[in-house]
Amino acid sequence: MKQILSFTLNGSPVDVVVTPTETLLDVLREKLGVTGPKRGCDDGDCGACTVLLDGEPVRSCLTIALTVNGRDVLTVEGLGVNGDLHPLQKAFHEHGAFQCGFCTPGMLMSAKALLDHNPNPSRTEIREYMSGNLCRCGSYEEVIEAIQAVAAGEYKE
Amino acid sequence: MREVSYFAPTDVGEAVKLLAEHGDKAAVLAGGTDLVPQLNYYEIKPAALLYVGGLGLDYVKEEGGKLVIGAGTTVAHLLANDLIAKKFGVLAAAAHTHASPAVRTAATIGGNLGTASPAGDMIPSLMVMDAEVILASVRGERAVPIKDFFTGPGETVRAADELIVEIQVPLLPGKAVFEKIGRRKAQTCSIVSAAVRLEMDGGVCQDARIVLGSMAPTPIRCPKAEAMLKGKAINAALIAECAAQAVAESTPISDQRATAWYRHKAGTALVGRALAKAAGV
Repeated sequence: MKQILSFTLNGSPVDVVVTPTETLLDVLREKLGVTGPKRGCDDGDCGACTVLLDGEPVRSCLTIALTVNGRDVLTVEGLGVNGDLHPLQKAFHEHGAFQCGFCTPGMLMSAKALLDHNPNPSRTEIREYMSGNLCRCGSYEEVIEAIQAVAAGEYKE
Repeated sequence: MREVSYFAPTDVGEAVKLLAEHGDKAAVLAGGTDLVPQLNYYEIKPAALLYVGGLGLDYVKEEGGKLVIGAGTTVAHLLANDLIAKKFGVLAAAAHTHASPAVRTAATIGGNLGTASPAGDMIPSLMVMDAEVILASVRGERAVPIKDFFTGPGETVRAADELIVEIQVPLLPGKAVFEKIGRRKAQTCSIVSAAVRLEMDGGVCQDARIVLGSMAPTPIRCPKAEAMLKGKAINAALIAECAAQAVAESTPISDQRATAWYRHKAGTALVGRALAKAAGV
C-alpha cells in the first residue's frame, strides 16, 4: 500500500511515494539520490547510515520511512552551508579522520549531535558517544582528535 | 509482491481496535530497532505495520508510590530523566549499557519487553523492583507481574490483540545494582547480565531479589539464592555461596556470543559483584 511521505530534508520540503516496509535509508538512497548515508549492515550495528531526526541521531536503516512524516531530517549533504564545509568536515579532513571514508557521513552526524548536546566533551564522553560508529580502517584516534579540535574552537563556520 | 498496510493511530483506543482487527498479522512498530532488521532481512513478513510512536506513551511520572513509565519512552529519555536518575538508578545503569546513542534515541522500554529477548537490557532492573506490565486491548486493561510476563525467547503472555502501554514500578526500598558483560562495552548484546536488590537493616538482609539475563530462555529470578540471604549478615563467603546458587538455578546455552561454560563462570562473578556492591561489602 503506497503512501505519500512528506518531510523536511536538509531544510527543503520533500514529498515522495513510499511503501510501508521501506526504511528512511532506502528512500534517501534509492528514491531521492541522497547517498551520503551508507548501507553498511542494515542491522543497526555499524552506524554508517546515521542521520539526524529532529536533531537527534538515528539509524536510518532502522527507521521506517513513514514514521518521519512531518519531521526534519539532516544528512551529511546538509551539513555544510553554501558549499563551504562544516567545521567538523574541515577538522576530519585535516586530521585524517578517515581512510576509505565509508563511515565518515555517519561519524560526522554523530559528532554533530554530540557537540550540539555537549559543546565541550571529555575524551571519555567522545569515545562513549561515538561508540556506535564503526570504522574498519581504524581511524578512531583521529576522529577523537578532530572532534576535540572543533570543540576547542579551532575550526569556524 | 505482497502489499503491506501501514497504520499510525494517534490514541490507544484506536490502536487496540486496529490490533483487535488485525491480530497477529500486524507487527507493532515502536522504535523499530528490533523489528526493522527482521524486515530488512525478510525474516518476518507481516501483513500490516502498526506504528505506536504517535500514541503519546513517552512519559515518566510518579503516582501513588510508583514510577509509571509509558511503554513508548525511549531509552535515551529514560537516561535523561531526573525521576529515573533519582529513584530508579538501576534502570538508568542498564539504559547506559544499551546499544549506542543513535539506537537509544529510537529504542523504547515497551519494545524491549515486547521483543522478549533473554538478553533484554531493561528487563532485569524491572524484575528486581517487581514491576508490572500493563496490557491494553478492546477487552480492557490488565496488569501482569513482570516475572510472569515472559514465556520463552521472543514469547510473552501478551495476546495478539493486546498492546503494552505502561510499566508500573513500585519504589521498593534497598539498594539495586545492574551488571552486564558483552563482547565489548558499547553496542553489544549481553553475554550475561544480572540485577540484584538488597534490603538491609543493620547489616542483616531483610529481602533480596536476584535476576539473571541471557542465562535461560527468559530473564529469570533465582528464588533459592534469594532465600539464602534473608535474615543473614552479608559477608564475602555468603556472597560466593549465593552467587553459585543463583547460577545453579539457570540453564545457560552455548551460542555465537559465548559458551555455556563461560556463562557459568561469568554469571557467578557478575552476581557476586552485584551483591557485594548492593550490600556495600
